[in-house]
Amino acid sequence: MELSTVGLTLAAAVVCGLDRTAAGQFMLSRPIVAAPLTGWLLGSPEAGLQIGAMLELFWLGRLPVGSAIPPDDSQVAVGCTLLALVAQARTGMPLQAAAVAGLLLGMPFGKTGQFFDRQARILNAKLLRRVEKGLENGCVKSLERWHLLGLLHFTLASVATLVAVVVGGLLLLPVVLKTLEQPLTLVSNWLWLLFPLTGIGSLLGGLKVPRGWQIFCASFVLGLFVLMLR
Amino acid sequence: MKLPRLVLLQVFLRSFLLQASWNYEQMQSLGLLYAVTPAFRRYYTGLALVDAYRRHLEHFNTHPYLATAVIGALLKLEEQAQKGVDPGFGLSEFKSAMVAPCAAMGDAFFWGSLRPLAGVVTLLLAFQGFWWAPVCYLLLYNFPHLAFRALGLLRGYGGGVRVVSSLQRWRLSDWSVYCKQILLLPLGVFAALISFEATAGLGLRSAWALCAGPLIWGVVKLVRRKISPLLVIWVLCLLSLSWSQLR
Amino acid sequence: MAEVNGDAMGIVLARVDNRLIHGQIIESWVPALDVDCIVVANNQLATVAFQKTLMEAAVPRGIRLSIGSVEEMADRLKSRELEAHRILLLFASPRDALRAYRMGILFQELNIGNLQGGKDKLRVNCTVSLTGDDMAQLQMLEDQGVRIVLQCIPSDRRQIWRRSPR
Repeated sequence: MELSTVGLTLAAAVVCGLDRTAAGQFMLSRPIVAAPLTGWLLGSPEAGLQIGAMLELFWLGRLPVGSAIPPDDSQVAVGCTLLALVAQARTGMPLQAAAVAGLLLGMPFGKTGQFFDRQARILNAKLLRRVEKGLENGCVKSLERWHLLGLLHFTLASVATLVAVVVGGLLLLPVVLKTLEQPLTLVSNWLWLLFPLTGIGSLLGGLKVPRGWQIFCASFVLGLFVLMLR
Repeated sequence: MKLPRLVLLQVFLRSFLLQASWNYEQMQSLGLLYAVTPAFRRYYTGLALVDAYRRHLEHFNTHPYLATAVIGALLKLEEQAQKGVDPGFGLSEFKSAMVAPCAAMGDAFFWGSLRPLAGVVTLLLAFQGFWWAPVCYLLLYNFPHLAFRALGLLRGYGGGVRVVSSLQRWRLSDWSVYCKQILLLPLGVFAALISFEATAGLGLRSAWALCAGPLIWGVVKLVRRKISPLLVIWVLCLLSLSWSQLR
Repeated sequence: MAEVNGDAMGIVLARVDNRLIHGQIIESWVPALDVDCIVVANNQLATVAFQKTLMEAAVPRGIRLSIGSVEEMADRLKSRELEAHRILLLFASPRDALRAYRMGILFQELNIGNLQGGKDKLRVNCTVSLTGDDMAQLQMLEDQGVRIVLQCIPSDRRQIWRRSPR
């Protein structure tokens, strides 16, 4: 892998990782943005858009409410985009198949994000201690700096998660490609659609609103009807 | 003393870093101090400043977007306290009364409704081959996001405690339910679109496409039984792969 | 007074959470358990006048909300006025939970969500810190046969609390 590829992926990972909790929350961290951004930086926005579209709905229902931490879909989006491009470059398989392979391998490592994120938050308590101590001594100067140092912790957590996703995925990639390259290419079109379908199920599973099922079913059937007529 | 606009702008910009040092002990407490610093430095100097920081270095955790409403009101109350106006409760009580309901409203509206709504609309665009879909997502989402942040700060600072009636008037929790209902419409269309796409080349295409319905329903049932969607997709993919090998 | 099982009153979750109503309640527990009525039993809510207003604004229409002191809420639950609902019962502290239990709200399981950390508190996990008093109250509940479960949101792992490991 070239150094510039590594650097650009890391840059995307840090920007999206910080946006997730620590800074801004403009939703650059959502897969639908993070993956195309990574793809664009690495020269293949199509790959990113595909990954992002497949991944977006998956953990959307898992909210960062209070102190709960959902799986890190931002780093999965960034890492899987890289994995897909690597798989494609190594085998020459079609983009869709590569995207599916990248996601299947990278996604399980998204769980590590919860661990690293938690570590960052635990580490942040140290900053609080420092500020408390400073205030006891009547010192307010460094308060802002201690607060901003938290950004470093979150950055480290993001990078660690990205490394887990990418390294884990790269280790498994040769094994999987050896056995599954042919069938993956064969059914990639169908698998590619399976992701959003599962995502819809996952999102609907967490949504409970009055008349929800009726609205969804009516819209689904009507949509099919219109598509059929077209 | 009234804060100049520039200071309010600084507070607004700093509110974006509210969660930079989020920790399990006091959550966003340092972030709060960081955000109010430009204003506090105008209100207090020397020991009074240290004292003000100490008073506010306590548990604080709310939705990052609606936090500006709490921060704004807090600044107003600090000003009033300096003038000797007694609101009838302590600032600490005020904060702890505000944070949880604001978190509930913000989580429900922004995380629970607006984010999926923007996401589903963007996916529809993306599947139509619209390359600029992610930019659309950012615009769609961030317009309300930034509007509420700014409005929260203005209403909070303008009204003090009266920010409560603004929050009540916005009815974000009701809107979150409406938004979820609205988002089911594009979600249904999106489901129709992908199942139609998936069944290309089959006879009786729409009849086959309807089969996606039970598939989605099955996933919903599994997810509600706390089976990870990750496991579901892996099993589905392996099943599809082995089926294609058998044929 | 007839002893009534908490389940028969329609209580699907009894929870201790010092933030009372917040995002985890509205966005996680309510949909996961199909809750349609939230009961907040807390005696300090009256101290800040607008807190009740804000809480009411935070709960969407379609979900009934009942706020009052522990005594009032215990009476209301026992009167079976709410029995057709699926109720989420919220306390701010283990002490309130024990009081309600002694007033006849016999929940079989008590969920511990968030209890803020602070000085002289024992950290049990990331979101729960207990004082000696809290632990004594929980111990008494446990002795009555109540399962004490530490769990922030439904997708978290359930962690059974015991004072002394058996």
